Amino acid sequence: MTLEKPTTGGEGAAAPARASAHRILPPPVTGQEFVLVGVIAVLWILLGIFTPAFLSPSSIQPLLVSVAPIALIGVGMTFIIITAGIDVSVGGAIMLCAVITAKLLVTYDVPLLVAVLLSIGIGIVLGVINGMLIAYGRVHAIIITFGTANIFQFLALRVFGSSTVNGIPSTLEVFGRGEAGRTFGVPHSFAITIIAVALAWWYLRHTSGGRHLFAIGGNTQAARLAGIKVQPRVVLAYGLTGALVGLAACFFIASGTSTLDQSIGSGRELAVIAAVVIGGTSILGGRGSVIGTLLGAVLVQTVTSGVTQLGWPSQLANLFVGVFIIIAVGTDLLRERARKTS
Amino acid sequence: MSTTATAPAPRRNLFSRGLEALLTQRIVLLAVLIVLVLAVMMSLDAAGQLSGSYNADYLASSLISAVPLAILGLAQLLVILSGRGGIDLSVGSIVSLTGIFFGLAYGTWGWSFFSSLVLAIIVGGVCGAINGALVSYIGFPPLIATLATYYAFRSLALVISDQKPINSPEIQEFYSAAQSIELPVIGGTLPLIPLGIFTFLIPCVVIVWLVLNKTTFGRRLYAIGTNDVAAAWSGINVKPNRMAVYVLSGVLAGLVAVVTVAQFASARPDAGTSGNGMALPAITIAVLGGVAITGGIGRVSGIVLATLLIVWLNAGILLALPGNDGSQFQLLALGLVLIFASLLNGITKRRYGGL
Repeated sequence: MTLEKPTTGGEGAAAPARASAHRILPPPVTGQEFVLVGVIAVLWILLGIFTPAFLSPSSIQPLLVSVAPIALIGVGMTFIIITAGIDVSVGGAIMLCAVITAKLLVTYDVPLLVAVLLSIGIGIVLGVINGMLIAYGRVHAIIITFGTANIFQFLALRVFGSSTVNGIPSTLEVFGRGEAGRTFGVPHSFAITIIAVALAWWYLRHTSGGRHLFAIGGNTQAARLAGIKVQPRVVLAYGLTGALVGLAACFFIASGTSTLDQSIGSGRELAVIAAVVIGGTSILGGRGSVIGTLLGAVLVQTVTSGVTQLGWPSQLANLFVGVFIIIAVGTDLLRERARKTS
Repeated sequence: MSTTATAPAPRRNLFSRGLEALLTQRIVLLAVLIVLVLAVMMSLDAAGQLSGSYNADYLASSLISAVPLAILGLAQLLVILSGRGGIDLSVGSIVSLTGIFFGLAYGTWGWSFFSSLVLAIIVGGVCGAINGALVSYIGFPPLIATLATYYAFRSLALVISDQKPINSPEIQEFYSAAQSIELPVIGGTLPLIPLGIFTFLIPCVVIVWLVLNKTTFGRRLYAIGTNDVAAAWSGINVKPNRMAVYVLSGVLAGLVAVVTVAQFASARPDAGTSGNGMALPAITIAVLGGVAITGGIGRVSGIVLATLLIVWLNAGILLALPGNDGSQFQLLALGLVLIFASLLNGITKRRYGGL
């Protein structure tokens, strides 16, 4: 012990050794999240100054409604990316869950609970298929999910049958943009998302299952040798994402019109991944937070609705999303580098 | 691993050697699959199940969709080869953005074709250089860097063009570049092959093959993709080499932009990003062609054969199931082939050790 001290040397060695007795977990809220809160606050203040309508409930409520599905799926995607995986099939999965649920609502007029549970059930099946192929087929996640994305889209288009789904009843309006979708001014879909984020935060930070996910992402081989059942954990992460996709599909139906067209879900996988990486989750695995993902989704949606309200071309929003991804990940990279060299 | 490599192979029959070649060599597998697709489709044609005839002329004319697919597949090959999770999600957006610049130069500003082409290559190269600098010099994971530029370039294409396609008379005449031609010498004996194959695809394939196999840059690329730490220790300057593949990928996407402008007879701001975009099919082609997503493994011939397989399979599906059904079943076929091929990769790796 005394011999080791000079070799590890420097001020860095002694301090963590003392602190580690008290702090095994990372701090509950990380630096990236404070930065995001700051950026969102600055944006909201600026938008409030330039477009006075922005800080009114009639502008914030729709913003939160559109944040909800992205952040909700983002929770699952954070789990997956923490295990060093990725799921690019969520766009196709949203489409399939949404079209089946919408058809059921139109044809059989099923009650709310049945519709939601069915949608979640379908989502779980799709997610577990992904998870099984990735965990037991030992193929890189991006390849498998590119493949299943095509198959999910195919199935969804078959259900669509080359037309839109029309005349969807207002069963799901409790998740929608309207008056029925709010309690005390808070959209239900956003409240559900907050609860999901809180539960996921607790699971990732304070249960052995959650810590196992980080271990798998950090080093799969080491995790396996430490006795973690890697494959069931990975399947769980994809299955959870599937369940959340099912719920989010209901949000998408509710926040749209009574017509569901075939563009539903298209491109959403990239929006979700963007929210996750802006939130500070490392795409290499082993590091990430669901609170960051929620903030990332809020940031992306703020930019999108801010650009429209400023009267700029709405397509400009994506340019800012791209720039924010680069800034968010770039500052994280620079911090990491500083941490290593110090 | 080492025992299997050194173990002598005492008289194994032709069948088991054939099976091993089929399972371990992607080229052989793809060739067999192409023959299988052709045989099944031809027999369906003979049985009168198809809405048109699946003959050499049809196969040749369907090659027009192989041009963008194969060139972007080559771009992904280069990028994925370079290792460290190399991937380029932004190629579709680069196609859109470069197409708009090409359309403006050739259609609106009245530049000559040659200078417009040079502009397209430069714009594509600059876009690729941004990706390359982010990945190689700042250390972004390629998936993130190209996701960000995917959004940025796509948005720029739409904003610059004001969301309107450019289809001035010059651009519409340019459609002739995508027509089919008769080869002057052997003429009538061969089916009509789209001009784009000769003007764009074959030169790109030859150049990328030469770069990968006959230049030090190409051999260094395989070294970097296999193990970049070892490559650095053996004296290879990793960063500029890795950056160069992203620039090349951008240049290839710039060429595809010119091809798509010719095909559509207009420069569309969403040419590379509408629907599923162009990046996902291109990555699929690369993976199907046997490029290892971890880097260091992959061949030009795999890309070419994978493209032929998908193009001819899609063309057959369109005849068997006309209209909307056909395009839907193409998605299913692509997904199944991709999953099947990648699962097979995993199995053969464990059984025979290595690809």
